[in-house]
Amino acid sequence: MASLPNGLPIVSDRRASPLPALGALVAGAAAVLGLLLAEQQWEVATLAIVGALALLIGGKLGWGEVIHRSATDHHRWITPVAWLTAALVIFGLREHNFELLMLCTVMLYMVAGLGLTVQFGYTGVVNFAAAAFMGVGAYTAAVLLLHTGLPHVLVILAGGLVSAVIGSVLLLPLLRTRGHYAALITIAFGILFRTFLEVNDTLGGPQGLKVPGMEWFGLVFNDAIEIDDETEWSFYLRYAGLCLVLLFFAYHFVRRLERSWLGLSLDAVRLDETAASAFGLNGAAWKIVAFSIGNFLAGMAGAVYAMVTAFIAPASFTFGDSLILVSIVILGGLGNPLGLLPAALIVVVLPEKLQVIQEYRFLLFAALVIAILLVRPGGLIPRRARDYFPGAGGR
Amino acid sequence: MDLALIAQHLVNGAMLGVIYALVAVGFTLFFGVLDVIKFSHGDVVMLGAFTALATSAGLVGSGSALPPAIVLAAMFIAAVGGMAVFGALMAKFLVLPLRKAPTLNVLLITLMAGTVIREAVRLFYPQGSNPKPFPRLLPTGAWEIGEFTLRYDSTILLVTGVVAIVLVHLVITRTRLGLAIRAVAQDPETASAMGIPFHGTVLATFAIGSALAALAGVVNGLYYSEVSFNMGLLLGAIGFSAAVIGGLGNVYGAILGGFIFAALQTIGAVLLPIASAYKDVFAFAAVILLMAWKPGGLLAERSADRV
Amino acid sequence: MSQELLVASALSVRFGGVRALDGLDIRVHEGEVLGVIGPNGSGKTTFFNAVTGFVTTAGGSVTLGGETITGLVPREIARRGIARTFQRLRLLLELSVFDNLMLGQHLSLDHGIVANLLLRGRLRASMTSHIESARHLLSYFSATLPGKLFEPVSALTMIDRRRVEVCRALIREPRLLLLDEPSAGMTPEETAELMRDLQKVKAERSRLAVILIEHDMDVIESVSDRCAVFDYGRKLCEGSYAEVSSDPAVRRAYLGVDDE
Repeated sequence: MASLPNGLPIVSDRRASPLPALGALVAGAAAVLGLLLAEQQWEVATLAIVGALALLIGGKLGWGEVIHRSATDHHRWITPVAWLTAALVIFGLREHNFELLMLCTVMLYMVAGLGLTVQFGYTGVVNFAAAAFMGVGAYTAAVLLLHTGLPHVLVILAGGLVSAVIGSVLLLPLLRTRGHYAALITIAFGILFRTFLEVNDTLGGPQGLKVPGMEWFGLVFNDAIEIDDETEWSFYLRYAGLCLVLLFFAYHFVRRLERSWLGLSLDAVRLDETAASAFGLNGAAWKIVAFSIGNFLAGMAGAVYAMVTAFIAPASFTFGDSLILVSIVILGGLGNPLGLLPAALIVVVLPEKLQVIQEYRFLLFAALVIAILLVRPGGLIPRRARDYFPGAGGR
Repeated sequence: MDLALIAQHLVNGAMLGVIYALVAVGFTLFFGVLDVIKFSHGDVVMLGAFTALATSAGLVGSGSALPPAIVLAAMFIAAVGGMAVFGALMAKFLVLPLRKAPTLNVLLITLMAGTVIREAVRLFYPQGSNPKPFPRLLPTGAWEIGEFTLRYDSTILLVTGVVAIVLVHLVITRTRLGLAIRAVAQDPETASAMGIPFHGTVLATFAIGSALAALAGVVNGLYYSEVSFNMGLLLGAIGFSAAVIGGLGNVYGAILGGFIFAALQTIGAVLLPIASAYKDVFAFAAVILLMAWKPGGLLAERSADRV
Repeated sequence: MSQELLVASALSVRFGGVRALDGLDIRVHEGEVLGVIGPNGSGKTTFFNAVTGFVTTAGGSVTLGGETITGLVPREIARRGIARTFQRLRLLLELSVFDNLMLGQHLSLDHGIVANLLLRGRLRASMTSHIESARHLLSYFSATLPGKLFEPVSALTMIDRRRVEVCRALIREPRLLLLDEPSAGMTPEETAELMRDLQKVKAERSRLAVILIEHDMDVIESVSDRCAVFDYGRKLCEGSYAEVSSDPAVRRAYLGVDDE
């Protein structure tokens, strides 16, 4: 970047056009809608091929850079427009039960994925038990909803809190170990948690628990939304809205975290904890912070997940599910919150949509992830350098 | 509790220990040469068992009345040989290309490869989604020592497993290949400079590890007389635990870890008679505590971060 | 004579049976540059590690400005005003020059949740002033480096990386700076330049003390006020460059021996 003689940056070489960012937004919304609404085999296939081609050609032509510049230069209004678009997509699906449910799952997996991003995207603290921490949140919510009159918004927070507290049990071994050894601790916890749920009768055993729906100031989320005699909107519309709000806060929380001194400290812990300690950084404290934040987010996602699905069982929070969450985070581009959306769509929705070739969907999905990892090791949208204040001079 | 029951638990625990050790040695070997965790390893165990199953089905189905010993030998050879080749191929096409990528990517890609293996068996093996009976080809008798019965088949499997472990030990310590593996594990660059073929050594290591996994799969199948497409997930997790408890990269640590995990499970089952379902909870909780106590595994090399 | 800043007395470090440091006595005064020379394995880096808390000492003590710092963890020692560089550069390669310098500022930054996540305007203002001071410090060392403030360190040349590492150690205005062989991997000209630039900074910080581990005798001669020669974890001798270089024991043990 050019700079003036006094060392100050030349603030804008010229502002980029907002069109690429808007185009990407529209294309993204269309892709989400298309993928969710596609019913024919060929539709899904076409979408997948177009997506792959866009990625390939766009990668060659540097579209990512163009879109990024455009979005950063106009982030003040592009960001709200993006959230508005997301709300519109949800509203557009108002009569589609199953699709809305899937979208809820995508958003909640993204929230948990944001937690993982803080944990090992930034801090390098591995967690192969993210689904278990979602499970802690979900079971906490179920128990609180069944046995207490706690306001439901607080139930969601409690889910996150309990998850963070239970996670702290693992802190001592986690802080003493590194790398694969730390990975084992979380794997062991994930398997332990699931087995525990299966043999514990008070929590419903393998059959699980039914979970009451959400209520908020008299608004019963599970009631049908009848517009007139002809039209009825899916009750999942409210849940999708709730998930979007949760995602909104989680996303901006993680974004701001990264773009602050906190994010720098977390990165330093990941990259070279020893060297960082020579400058006064307390690696253990930052790992505790990151691990707790991540589990808190996963727990809240789990609590909402329990309400959305109205039923939870140990089989929803297995080691395999934790691996799916890890796949989402790596596939999207480790450390990049934006990458979570395409990754979660591929991981959650694509297998559901490839039902026509039902039996083979997991096989194909796994092969697809292998292909992406071989071709794009940085993930779909690799993380960019920290940009504390997007659009400002320090770029 | 009477002595016979204790002896029974001991035999059972030893059997589990042998199987876990065979799986764990693979994990530790791969980690040694490439610093990676190959998460599809449990599914290779399963694939080995199914290869053996298919071989026996093919031989029996062909109508020829072969003696069980021949069938058994064919099963072993097919499973062990097949998986050795398969393991080397996976190393060549999935693991080595990602050598420069973050270790998490390797973990993920092998995880997905495991899913591919698992799904392929479920879909393409006849009625693959159901548990399959594994042929009982070993002699069925037993020695009676007072109250305690020692089955012939358990004894044979136990001895086979121990012999395999001893063989690995000999290969690692007494052969040129073993020397190459140790050299690459120590320092790949220096090893290459000394004329040790890096790729060849890695492929051989993966072949050995996968062959052991196949053996573990067959032993497991013969012992429980049943195999299923998803048996690899837990076996893989346990094998990984065992390798880590022992100290990754250390073959003896992996063997020790395998037996420790088996002991934990057995103790869990014995000590919690009312709720023996909690035995895995107990075993994995113990693993977490063990890691808190010995963060680098039991037989860890001392490695402080150098400044 | 100015005030004593660092006093290490009878400092010992053992690695298994090996005595890496064996009863070492070192004194550094405010504003002084102490050159440390000695063959490989003579305990120079171990001395730094012992002072900064990266290795546990087996005996003896270290005080900084009269306060005992033996046994403290590295971050507590950093808090008391010692900063260091590493022989094999330990920059955060993926991160920008600015991020690396701000790691050096870690103890001066506000890490509160509210300050970082909510009061973004104030954060921005403080960041702007940090950017300015970072550019200012870099400008002592290179005319082009301030313009590369937001480039990843991995994109820099070796000398620029060295400069960034030295700046990272300097930025929080430490009382004592430990430089572990800054010439490693650089040409003699580059080293000389780095030392001249460092002198410029030192000229403005009269109380800053520096301990410099160096193999290059010319560098030692040009910048150090005093030298200490290490051999087998002990101090062979100490004094001005002229005294040290003419000491017969030094000539035997060090200058006579191949110094790499």
